[in-house]
Amino acid sequence: MHQIAILASAVVDQIAAGEVVERPASVVKELVENALDADARFIEIVIEDGGRSRIRVADDGFGMRREDALLAMRRHATSKIRDASDLVGVSSFGFRGEALPAIASVSEMEIETSANGGGGTLVRAEGGEIIEVRDAARRTGTTVTVSRLFYNSPSRQRFLRSARSEWRAIADLIASTAILRRSVRVLVSHEGREVMNLPAAPSVRARVAALWGAQFADRLVDVDDVRGEVHVTGLVERPSDVGTAARRIHVVVNGRAIRDGGMVRAAEAAYRSTIPAGTRPSVLLDITVPADAVDVNVHPAKVEVRFRDRWLVERAVESAVRRALGSPRSAASIGVPAFWAVPKIAFSPVDVEVLQGPEDASPLLGGSVTAVDIVMPERNREEAIPVPPLRQLRHTYIMFEREDGVVFIDQHSAHERVLYERFMHALEHGDAASQRLLFPLTLHVGPQEGDAFEEHREMFERLGYEIEGFGGHTLLVQSVPAPHPRFDAERCLRESLDALTGSRLPGTASRHEKLAATVACKAAIKAGDSMSDGEMRSLFSALARTVLPAHDVHGRSTVVHLPWDEIERRFGRR
Amino acid sequence: MRFTIAREKLQEGLSAVTAAVPTKTTLPVLANILLETTDKGIRLSGTDLDIAVSTEVLADVETQGSITIPAKKLAEIARELPSAPVKMSSAGEQKVTLECGRSRFKLLGLPRDEFPSFPTVRFNESWRVRSGDLQKLIGHTAFAASTEESRPILNGVLWELRPERMRMVATNGHRLSKMELPITSEGAPSGDLIVPPKALEQIRKLFPAEEDLEIARGDNHLAFRSPFTSVFTRLIEGPYPNYEQVIPKDNDRVALADKNVLAQSLRRMSIIASDQTHRIRLAFNAGMLKLGVQTPDLGEAQDEVPINYEGDPLEIGFNANYLIEILRYMPTDEVRLTFKAAERAATIEPEGWKDDARYLGLVMPLKLID
Ligand SMILES: Nc1ncnc2c1ncn2[C@@H]1O[C@H](COP(=O)(O)OP(=O)(O)OP(=O)(O)O)[C@@H](O)[C@H]1O
Ligand SMILES: [Mg+2]
Repeated sequence: MHQIAILASAVVDQIAAGEVVERPASVVKELVENALDADARFIEIVIEDGGRSRIRVADDGFGMRREDALLAMRRHATSKIRDASDLVGVSSFGFRGEALPAIASVSEMEIETSANGGGGTLVRAEGGEIIEVRDAARRTGTTVTVSRLFYNSPSRQRFLRSARSEWRAIADLIASTAILRRSVRVLVSHEGREVMNLPAAPSVRARVAALWGAQFADRLVDVDDVRGEVHVTGLVERPSDVGTAARRIHVVVNGRAIRDGGMVRAAEAAYRSTIPAGTRPSVLLDITVPADAVDVNVHPAKVEVRFRDRWLVERAVESAVRRALGSPRSAASIGVPAFWAVPKIAFSPVDVEVLQGPEDASPLLGGSVTAVDIVMPERNREEAIPVPPLRQLRHTYIMFEREDGVVFIDQHSAHERVLYERFMHALEHGDAASQRLLFPLTLHVGPQEGDAFEEHREMFERLGYEIEGFGGHTLLVQSVPAPHPRFDAERCLRESLDALTGSRLPGTASRHEKLAATVACKAAIKAGDSMSDGEMRSLFSALARTVLPAHDVHGRSTVVHLPWDEIERRFGRR
Repeated sequence: MRFTIAREKLQEGLSAVTAAVPTKTTLPVLANILLETTDKGIRLSGTDLDIAVSTEVLADVETQGSITIPAKKLAEIARELPSAPVKMSSAGEQKVTLECGRSRFKLLGLPRDEFPSFPTVRFNESWRVRSGDLQKLIGHTAFAASTEESRPILNGVLWELRPERMRMVATNGHRLSKMELPITSEGAPSGDLIVPPKALEQIRKLFPAEEDLEIARGDNHLAFRSPFTSVFTRLIEGPYPNYEQVIPKDNDRVALADKNVLAQSLRRMSIIASDQTHRIRLAFNAGMLKLGVQTPDLGEAQDEVPINYEGDPLEIGFNANYLIEILRYMPTDEVRLTFKAAERAATIEPEGWKDDARYLGLVMPLKLID
């Protein structure tokens, strides 16, 4: 099973050639992956001088027999695949039989291994030349020690950075592997001090907490979504926390940690409008696609993959992350369980025939029969949303009680979110309600506002502004959007133009977003506006129907939850 | 100050002024009413600084004086008192004693000079209007005024007084209502007044329909007075937009519809219309009006209403609420709707109204999408 054989040259050709060993971190990566491939449950890593003087990786995996240990030092000796077809969907980290010989050729390497406990082998090599083979007593498992990396290759040695920066790369690498295989216990020491002690973890969240602290883990919301054949799980940062701690990026595809800017950007796209421009979220993604939908063998260090249909996967990532952010849990750091996700009432299509009674008969036109036809679309968002009793506080917040505590909604932020999504829809579909005015508005604007208007003219029209007779900085407004009864069209237009002056954004999509966010902000009900019961109820359901109810367009929370626990604690009941 | 008043008279006086007393105020004295003795009795006054009401009721005055006392408490007390003479007296500026039968109350007031003085309006150039006529105009137009702060002028109701007619117009810029009545004036001047609807609403409720009111204008106030009661209100400064110009004269598509059938259908459709925009679609065809509504995330609905319509087919969108509201005020069972085109103003008028008043509602369309 685990015997090593030299690969046929045809296979070799298919295997990406290239540099395996770039820096100490790549050595650690190869050794740790070998340990994991050997089914290790416990891996101990010792690093000295940022890995420049010594790297030791010990595992409790199945070890090697003596002949295998010797063979392992030779190029293209691998126990992991036999022929080219095994490459499709290969599940082990290693498959090229390249790592050990490559590392051995630029260092002093010692392999101590035993496949059966007790009787084992020690192999020592210098610059790839085996200089010693002897018996060694060892428990089942393997210890590989790499010393004096690049001792025989001064040019490579010169490229090494400081011990600190090499160590940082190693730590990142270990962290990402530890997340990948959370059931393996990992112990790491650097310069003689234990720096990581990661017990086998029941969940990725637990592993993240062990790595970066429980506080960091608390910033993350769970992602778990399937779209077509793509399954996306992971943890992403709550928008309100983004930018307040070191950013962590971790992308796994089919069990392999990779670098993939595209996936990270797709995840970031899901944050659109919830976090301030320029800040970037921590993202830990675990993407699973069918084995034949991805090619893992395109990069010498296996840190990049090629997707058969990248677009499909990126969209799946975006929608999974968006869904995760849309869950109110992502709203406040005190945790908001899904309060919109109150039991779903299935709304089956209804056909209603109303026959009018005689009292409705029109004397003028004779009795009338009126057919009413109400058809609910098969879209998925029409469940009736039960609205709890709501109360406005300080003309600013809407409060309601729930089984697990008290929830506050910021009326302006919430309305902004609702309008933003509606305006985005209007910009994309041109279906805004546009109210014709009895008295057209005449607006005199400055040259910059005039330019901003010209620049966004077509988009303003899509939002419902019908503006004529533009010339000499005078706008004649014939129709205005009617997003809500209190909408102040003139002020909104003025303030939006003001906010848009001098902005020149490249893509249409981002221009749409900017405009929608600007206009939504100006159009939304303000803090301090008193709201009727009906208005609060309709805002509540409209918010619940948005894609991202928990955050406003600036990334602030729209919703804050105060759990009973907290209230009871403050009253000293707990 | 000392006087005796019938409990009913006290209540009558209080009910006239308490509507003007604000429920919330930062100026404590405004929560009080002012009580002053007069030749024939006492005068009660209340104000929220926008509107001021003052009324006189019969009482037996023993000693002259004046005092302010909490309006709400006094009204509650008056309501619970037995039907017997009420004796009120004040010792000093701030303490009022009230006795009725065996009940006895002491109330703390505030000095009289803290109470705002009322505007002075001279009635030498005044209009005389029957309260009932005024009620009719107010009741049919004031609802259409704007409640938004964006264009303060539209927060008021335009009241045009002419030698032979008076007219009220209100609009929020999306819809408008206008009513006009012939009057016989005795050489009174013409006037255009922009009055807050809240004041008009109080006037509508305060004066009995058969009473004749005298109306005069001060610097920026308007005063209404009947023999015993006066109301003062702030005026909104004009000019009011030229509404005549936007009332279409050439709408050539005419539909006659049963008001109730149409209103019911509109209400049904508005169940599915968006909470925010209330957009519905009307399609006029010979003999039949089709109503439709489509709201993303919610659903769609259609309805049909038989109508009397001969023009070319027309599709037009509206805020359903505007239509429902104006229909509610239409005085006849049948209504006449006129149109020109999908982006032009529509009018609604009563059909076959046997009245000397003229009434018109106007609604601007909402743009339709396909
Ligand atoms: N820690 C270990 N425990 C058991 N076997 C090991 C260990 N490390 C290496 N081996 C054996 O040595 C072989 C060579 O390892 P090497 O890392 O060079 O190649 P690989 O893992 O097969 O492929 P890749 O070059 O892609 O890593 C492996 O196939 C495996 O059989
Ligand atoms: Mg390997």
